[in-house]
Amino acid sequence: MDSVLKAVVVFFVLWAIIRVSGRRTLGEMTAFDFVLFLIIGGSTQRAITGEDYSLTNALILVATFVVLDIALSIVDLKSPFMRRVLNATPTILVDNGHLLVRRMRRARVTEDNILEAARRLHGLERLDQIKFAILEASGDISIVPAIQQGTAETTAARRA
Amino acid sequence: MDEFASRQYPVKEHMRFQRRMWVVERIGWSVLAAIALLGLTGLFGNGWLSRGNAAGNGLSVEYERFERATRLSGFAFHFPPGGAERTLHLNRAFQRNYEISRIQPEPTRNQAEPDGLSLTFALPPEGGTVMLWAHARGYGIQHIIARSDNEPPLSFSILVYP
Repeated sequence: MDSVLKAVVVFFVLWAIIRVSGRRTLGEMTAFDFVLFLIIGGSTQRAITGEDYSLTNALILVATFVVLDIALSIVDLKSPFMRRVLNATPTILVDNGHLLVRRMRRARVTEDNILEAARRLHGLERLDQIKFAILEASGDISIVPAIQQGTAETTAARRA
Repeated sequence: MDEFASRQYPVKEHMRFQRRMWVVERIGWSVLAAIALLGLTGLFGNGWLSRGNAAGNGLSVEYERFERATRLSGFAFHFPPGGAERTLHLNRAFQRNYEISRIQPEPTRNQAEPDGLSLTFALPPEGGTVMLWAHARGYGIQHIIARSDNEPPLSFSILVYP
């Protein structure tokens, strides 16, 4: 009984902490974040298992965690509101080359983060080449490049 | 256009929800910071807020007011001057909820009684200190009563976190 309760508490507390720590920590995981997650895992693992290393306890814990995870995914599927609570919502950070600074500050994203994503994903160099930059629910920044004037026409002309 | 207005293209935003979520995030950070700071003060055991002591006419004890389950904690029982053989009696709550791992000095006799545990020590006439190390087992508030020989009992409470 103890194991199930501990697993439920740990599941929701960890979920809340990771959710509250913000999307930045989830999407753009640095080497240090990775180490941090390992430490979080290690310290909670011992609190859950305690001194009970039995196969039965492991089975109870695994079953509880998987059931909770499935339950959340069902809730996520059924309720649009809960989907937002569980997974966050996408937020536009650049609109036609203009930075939405106040949103960026709240979401803890810098101009450099956006330019980095633009370079990485599309080889873009400047802000005005970005039509939209979106902070996705996953924590990744996705970029919609602005169609460069002339490019499409010249390619079409060359083909003709 | 207001920067915080929800846009519909290229993705459907829920800015009202998002802004509320940002507030919740900040509240969450303060809660986490508070937990860390309170941890430093000893509210969750092992710190200055957690230091407790109880004293009667003779026997006195230093203990951890806040304790965590399974953690090893120390009790220092100070005996006043007296005879060469001193007994320390601990109640049932202690016996049931603590697993004793070490006692210094070792008791010369160690026996169960109807209402707890009785330990006998050989101490010098000027009195001395007995250190007892034990792991807390259950959680919740433990009411512990310690008694030495025929002195009035010393009672104190410990909050054990899960």
